[in-house]
Amino acid sequence: MWLQRVGRSLGQGRRHLSAKIVKGTSIEVQPEDGESAATMTFPGVWLRDNCRCAVCFHGSSKSRRLDWDAFDTRVRPLSVRSDKAAGQVHVSWSDAHESSYTLAWLRQRSFDTQRQRSYLEDFYRPSTRHWAGAEFEQIAQHFDYEQVMAEDASLKQWLQALAVYGVALLRGAPLDEGVVRRLAERVGFIRRTTYGEEFIVQAKPGAQNFAYLSLPLPLHTDLPYYEYKPSVNILHCVVQTKSRGGSNLLVDAFHIADRLRSQHPEDFERLCRIPVDWNDIGSEDGREFHNIWRAPVICLDAEGKYARINHSVPQRDSHFSVPLEEVEPWYESYARFVRLARDDAHAFKTRPGDVLTFNNIRLLHGRTGYDDTEQNSRYIVGAYLDWDIIYSRLRVLKKHAPPPANKS
Amino acid sequence: MFQADPQLSRALARLQPKAKLDLQQDQLRLVLVESPGQPDMQFPDIWLRDNCRCGECYLPQTLSRLPQLWNNLDTSVRVQQQSVDVEQQLLYIQWSDGHASQYPFAWLRERDFALAHRTRYLSDFYRPAPQHWSGLEFGHIRREFQYQELLASDEQLQQWLHQLAVYGVALVRQAPLEFDVLRRLCNRVGFMRRTTYGDEFSVRAQPGASNYAYLAAPLPLHTDMPYFEYKPGVTLLHTLEQSDSPGGVNLLTDAYHVADLMRERHPAQFRVLCQTPVDWADIGRDGDLEFHNIWRAPVINLDAEGRYVRINHSIPQRDSHFSVPLEQVRPWYEAMALFVRLANEQACSFKTTPGDVLTFNNLRLVHGRTGYDDTDHNVRHLVGAFLDWDIVYSRLRVLRNATR
Repeated sequence: MWLQRVGRSLGQGRRHLSAKIVKGTSIEVQPEDGESAATMTFPGVWLRDNCRCAVCFHGSSKSRRLDWDAFDTRVRPLSVRSDKAAGQVHVSWSDAHESSYTLAWLRQRSFDTQRQRSYLEDFYRPSTRHWAGAEFEQIAQHFDYEQVMAEDASLKQWLQALAVYGVALLRGAPLDEGVVRRLAERVGFIRRTTYGEEFIVQAKPGAQNFAYLSLPLPLHTDLPYYEYKPSVNILHCVVQTKSRGGSNLLVDAFHIADRLRSQHPEDFERLCRIPVDWNDIGSEDGREFHNIWRAPVICLDAEGKYARINHSVPQRDSHFSVPLEEVEPWYESYARFVRLARDDAHAFKTRPGDVLTFNNIRLLHGRTGYDDTEQNSRYIVGAYLDWDIIYSRLRVLKKHAPPPANKS
Repeated sequence: MFQADPQLSRALARLQPKAKLDLQQDQLRLVLVESPGQPDMQFPDIWLRDNCRCGECYLPQTLSRLPQLWNNLDTSVRVQQQSVDVEQQLLYIQWSDGHASQYPFAWLRERDFALAHRTRYLSDFYRPAPQHWSGLEFGHIRREFQYQELLASDEQLQQWLHQLAVYGVALVRQAPLEFDVLRRLCNRVGFMRRTTYGDEFSVRAQPGASNYAYLAAPLPLHTDMPYFEYKPGVTLLHTLEQSDSPGGVNLLTDAYHVADLMRERHPAQFRVLCQTPVDWADIGRDGDLEFHNIWRAPVINLDAEGRYVRINHSIPQRDSHFSVPLEQVRPWYEAMALFVRLANEQACSFKTTPGDVLTFNNLRLVHGRTGYDDTDHNVRHLVGAFLDWDIVYSRLRVLRNATR
């Protein structure tokens, strides 16, 4: 793991160290300690920008305070000196400034491809692993609610499972309505939406939202009509229906996208490119809303990785703001996506005390229809968390985690 | 009376099949709707079937499509018979799956696929098109609103939000010097956006500040919280006490205009700022919550159509980690230095007075302030809060619908 590797190199880097100016503007650092002797090269302009002295860096806010209004990108190192005992590199600059950097600090910021990848995939945002419905039992991890509330190690494992697989189940939660709030506040804070902070999913005649009916709820993502779509769904089962229905359905839509990408590239291309109008029009607590967000079903980032899936039959607008000739092909491709997702769905039924948590940016969820009776009415309390807040918490937990026992 | 006029109800209007187009293009199936005195409209048959308004297909109480059709959507569904009722202004369709649908002309017209109509819908109703401005033009585009009027008048509220959407900045005046002003203003729109710094936050000089903004030093141009994927959309800053010293002056630049300048005059540097991901970070704690926020994204973020969606810029909140290949580092620094220089050149400056609420688009504008000096009798104090654009645009659409 990235953090532990850094920790290990801290102690070893002190014995030998050399540094020199290369190509006039860069600095090459050679920690001659055998095992990790690889040379590290740092652009001079980056080193100057990241000077750690009190003039250039504000310690208590951990923030750069360098005056960029006067910053000259042509700044060059004039001389460089290494202090083996202190494990530091000292640089004198053409703008008459002096800077010092510790070897440990430099290693953490090495421009080496491997080091950068492990920083991004271990620490920034864990890489996702996609799964087929048939693999659900293998990838779905269970955690004890009380343990997650009490132990940081358990909290970290839950959040890591959510980040990697997009789903995790907590068991043994009490049956009071405060569970989702306590859980969300263990991570950070609840993400509020048009529907408030906590929301109750139960059959309500005359409901203004389709989820608040006892009808089958086909696979969908929540709130695709937000640019800032809530990231993680927390659904606490307080009362489950005794009727045959009310089962949860889950699909990893990143896996469906993988299959389209390899087997039906034309459909994949259309679903990535053609923007769809997602909407929600109504009111909640007397407050009217008219939410619209235009985005494709499969959203890719600049590197072609999945950034987000949008899917909801009820929340897709009848407005479709694309050229006429795009419409029919889009329907063909979307129908294939829906078919593949439906065929891949994994069904299971949560029990009272279960808290189902899943990535709403990535997974589709749904439920089969059910019949309430007066003595038995399905009652789920839900809330959302945002990934910004979850990843932040996960990073803090990783920084504080005790290093694993040394195997050597 | 229902009447099937053979002239008006031309059953299907097929596009001329073109050579070399793929099969699905050849099979484009369009329904032509002609109504006297109005331009013709064309609709794909599958779209009409998908948007049938009958009780089996659509639930009026939720204003949403019922999903059953999609459990096994037949994309080969065809129009068997089409007719119009000119008096009632209705289109009737009998489908190959045995279903029958009817569509009011007015409903169809709102969903017309003609380019001019779609463009108007998107730039009028969906999200008003932004107009970029230079520092010199600030005097022309700036608008002021009265706090009490915003609370009392929907029309004023709509104008304020429209100004924010189009120009990205608006000044609200004459607010009381009370702590709940921003909450009342945000509740008028929808609700506040919470961040790791809470709901409202106080901006004033503090020794040992955990955030760089909480110092009296000059705060160079920046956007707030670039280290969030979900960056707060609109910043609201309520001046409770302004500095008597010459400093504490607000600085504002439309960074979309700066991006326009770079795109036009320095295309290579523009591309570098669009393509190089930067690590933005905030590491610290606020109250009990310890955080380590990171978001990787370029300075200038474009959507698929090349329009600006977001600007990220903050010297203090740019991480010392820079997760790009070595050879991209120097070109990025050169492009960024140019961006900073242009943003400074384009900055407008003014000094808010107590009771002012400065509101601006945090995805688009960069803001800052000059340094100032507090005294025992004069402590500059601002209260800040955020709104998200999802909530602002929703409110703007509701207000527009009410006045249409």
